[in-house]
Amino acid sequence: MNVQFINPFIESVNDLFSTMLGCEAIREQVRLTEPVVTKEPLVAVINMSGPVKGTVALIFPLETALAIFGRFSGEKSDRLTADVVDTLAEIANIVAGGAKSKLNVSDTPVNLTMPNVLENRGNTILSPASGTWIEVIFSSALGGFNLRVTMGKTKG
Amino acid sequence: MKTLVVDDSSTMRKILINMLGQAGLNDFEQAADGLEAVAAVKSGDIGLVMMDWNMPNMTGIDALKTMRAQGFTMPVIMVTTEAEKDRILEAIKSGASNYIIKPFTQDVVVTKIQEVISKMAGG
Repeated sequence: MNVQFINPFIESVNDLFSTMLGCEAIREQVRLTEPVVTKEPLVAVINMSGPVKGTVALIFPLETALAIFGRFSGEKSDRLTADVVDTLAEIANIVAGGAKSKLNVSDTPVNLTMPNVLENRGNTILSPASGTWIEVIFSSALGGFNLRVTMGKTKG
Repeated sequence: MKTLVVDDSSTMRKILINMLGQAGLNDFEQAADGLEAVAAVKSGDIGLVMMDWNMPNMTGIDALKTMRAQGFTMPVIMVTTEAEKDRILEAIKSGASNYIIKPFTQDVVVTKIQEVISKMAGG
């Protein structure tokens, strides 16, 4: 994956946090990583297709997920509910959607799948793209979370 | 005036409904996909539609095209992550009255709704 492609995703996270979550998402670290294996409990995943193919994954500890749900929806929960899952899916949708319009890889829009939220038990997230994953570690007033992206231009 | 709020995310529907209240709109219905949206428009007195683009069963853009093809002329505001120029043009050519890109602030939503209402009133 071309490392410059991560910038639209970082910008999209920042847009979301500043616009709808009332705080800043601070980029703590950016690094390359191997196929994703994560111990954090919640992973929101969206695949991309069209002029690029790849996967966007947002990875949350439960505490961060609950805090984001509270700020986003205005409601409170102390456990993982369908509403919390719905919020994480929409968060992933907004981050991926905001990034794709900034990728500028083609006149053809990038398509996104419906987001899925997985309860991770040490799984590997597979992707239709075969390249390297880039991981961005964020902190925020709502808690820490990770963004992972792998992406490549579609041939032909 | 009854507003139809269409999004496959129940959380996003709640957020928009809260913002509708800030714009003085307190009568609303909800739909979770384009098919439900078309059915709601057919069966009720919907005066305004706020619609997501990417949804299961029927997308918002297809629902918009279906509504317009069936003669429904109420304002439709697309509320979506689709921010590419071609997508916005497609929506406007298909009959969208206004366009809100996610993420959005309450001020943007209220302003866009007021623009549409003002135009309906001939302002």
